[in-house]
Amino acid sequence: MKGWHVRDIIFVTILAIFMGTIFFVTGPLYTVLAAALAPAGLQPLANELLLGIWVMAGPLAGFIIRIPGSATLGEFLGAVVEMFFGGIWGASTLISGALQGIGSELGFALTGYKHYGWFTLALSSLTTAIVTFGWDMIKNGYASYHLGFMALLFVVRLLSIFFFGGVLTKLIANLLVRAHVLPSAAH
Amino acid sequence: MNPTLKLALVLIIALEISFTQVWTVNVALLVVCFILMIAYRVKLKRLLWLTLVPLFFATALVWSLSLQGSASSHFLIVIFTRMFVYVYMGGVFTQTTEPLMLTRSLEQNAKLPSKFAYGFLAAFNLLPKIRTEVATIRAAALMRGQVLHVWSPQLYFKVILVAMNWSDQLASAMASHGFVEGAPRTHAVTVPLPKWNWWVCGMSLVAVQLGLFWGLP
Repeated sequence: MKGWHVRDIIFVTILAIFMGTIFFVTGPLYTVLAAALAPAGLQPLANELLLGIWVMAGPLAGFIIRIPGSATLGEFLGAVVEMFFGGIWGASTLISGALQGIGSELGFALTGYKHYGWFTLALSSLTTAIVTFGWDMIKNGYASYHLGFMALLFVVRLLSIFFFGGVLTKLIANLLVRAHVLPSAAH
Repeated sequence: MNPTLKLALVLIIALEISFTQVWTVNVALLVVCFILMIAYRVKLKRLLWLTLVPLFFATALVWSLSLQGSASSHFLIVIFTRMFVYVYMGGVFTQTTEPLMLTRSLEQNAKLPSKFAYGFLAAFNLLPKIRTEVATIRAAALMRGQVLHVWSPQLYFKVILVAMNWSDQLASAMASHGFVEGAPRTHAVTVPLPKWNWWVCGMSLVAVQLGLFWGLP
């Protein structure tokens, strides 16, 4: 199995900063969405809808670098970047970043870092959604929502993560395979 | 205060208040953080920003929880104040800590392997270049009549190729400047870890524990 070298470390960090930068471009979108949904008491939905973009660095790093720990590191570094450059959530960003990373890492770990295809990405999306939702139940009091609304939040979150962390990641990987940057996904 | 120790303290407290529901401790932490930020001369504009943004999100979350859920008012107060604590603690940390010093401290005090410390630093210093690159990629696509959205695979594809390119170049540049992975290093700047730092850290933790488990509301 490959180990970490300075080149991979720099790559993950640059990728994390890129993802952070792209996310900042969508910052206003989140604010507008949150503000529009807030009066109806649906503000968390804005969070759920866009969470997929947030957690994309994890599966992307995991899929490209293929070293155990890369998904976690990619996502965690994204959080570090956010904390130092403009983010306001501070310590909780780091904790959520680490948890999101571990969540998507689980998907890759469960398939033994051997299969890089749809199944792994779908699994990774599911584990990310479960881990992050568990954390929000504790941290943001999601546990005290009515069951129906909680289910709605979870489903929206899962779909968002699957779209950005699953479908979009696979499409990007396909492009990279065509450019011969990644080995062809035969397995 | 030593950056590593400060980070550990902030993280431990943030984790603890996430799992406990004592709003008085949250308020006490808020006051302490506020005084610290004033003492460290955090700009008024930043302070306002750090107050208004969580005010909106905390209000929206509490409103949503009370409309769609069955939370007690005590729990709502806890959630409301908790959000401010996260932001204020983060504010104290980021406004008093340089990324460079933190990385140095993590390498020297927390024994982070130097390849990680210098790898991160190398990449962090590219930040302005990375921002420009995203703008360039979008503009280049626009010239060909392509609009790259957050959901366009092409945007990420290009970004990844650039990241691969740059990380290759940076890694070779570091190697050619004599950086050897895992080799013992000396330090031009040493980050001190005086005894009083441990005392401050320990005392703060004891105070938080007392507050959390004393039976306060």
